[in-house]
Amino acid sequence: MAVESEHVTADVIEAQEFPDLARRYGVRGVPKIIINETTEFVGALPESQYLAQLRAAVESNGGTGVQ
Amino acid sequence: MGLISENDQETIRKLFDENLAGDVDIVMFTERQSPIIIPGKQPCELCDQTQELLEEVASLSDKLKLTVHEISKAKEEAFALGINRVPAFVCTGAARGRVRFFGIPSGYEFSAMLADLVDVSKGTTELSDETREYLGTLTEDVNIKVFTTPT
Repeated sequence: MAVESEHVTADVIEAQEFPDLARRYGVRGVPKIIINETTEFVGALPESQYLAQLRAAVESNGGTGVQ
Repeated sequence: MGLISENDQETIRKLFDENLAGDVDIVMFTERQSPIIIPGKQPCELCDQTQELLEEVASLSDKLKLTVHEISKAKEEAFALGINRVPAFVCTGAARGRVRFFGIPSGYEFSAMLADLVDVSKGTTELSDETREYLGTLTEDVNIKVFTTPT
């Protein structure tokens, strides 16, 4: 998705190396995906469901960036 | 003997030869290992290994350009790319957005990184028309974090 849109930044985070981030985002299983700090899900979803999650996150209009 | 076996190097070289379209810049941020133990500060255990891995990957194609920054000496560059942890690296090329990796891309993540390098170099993906169309309508920045483990 980051390849297709200049507005998208994709972060791949190795949970074991950054346990503080894993704790903050409640990572108990992987892959765990968090969009705009507001929408989250675990597991590889079919693309259509992934897109639905993205739409939901954009509509709820959250913040960005790794802290 | 490097981190990537000779057999795997051959496979990856072929993958890159056949699939990399344009150049990809890999900008890595690391932290020099200090001989002094500073209380409260964790040393970066996998910085050196991540750098070695990226050097090996970048050596497998002329289209991959690796730059390595010591984060304490490249604060502006790190800030501009949103990097505040090490090891981390950013891949840019024909892709419109930005792909960042935090931590060593080993195990399953290694093949995911290779696929990402190809996508970044092409600037296109195999996403559906519907998804691409929606991404084209975005007007505000979106951040997607994917937490992974090597296994």
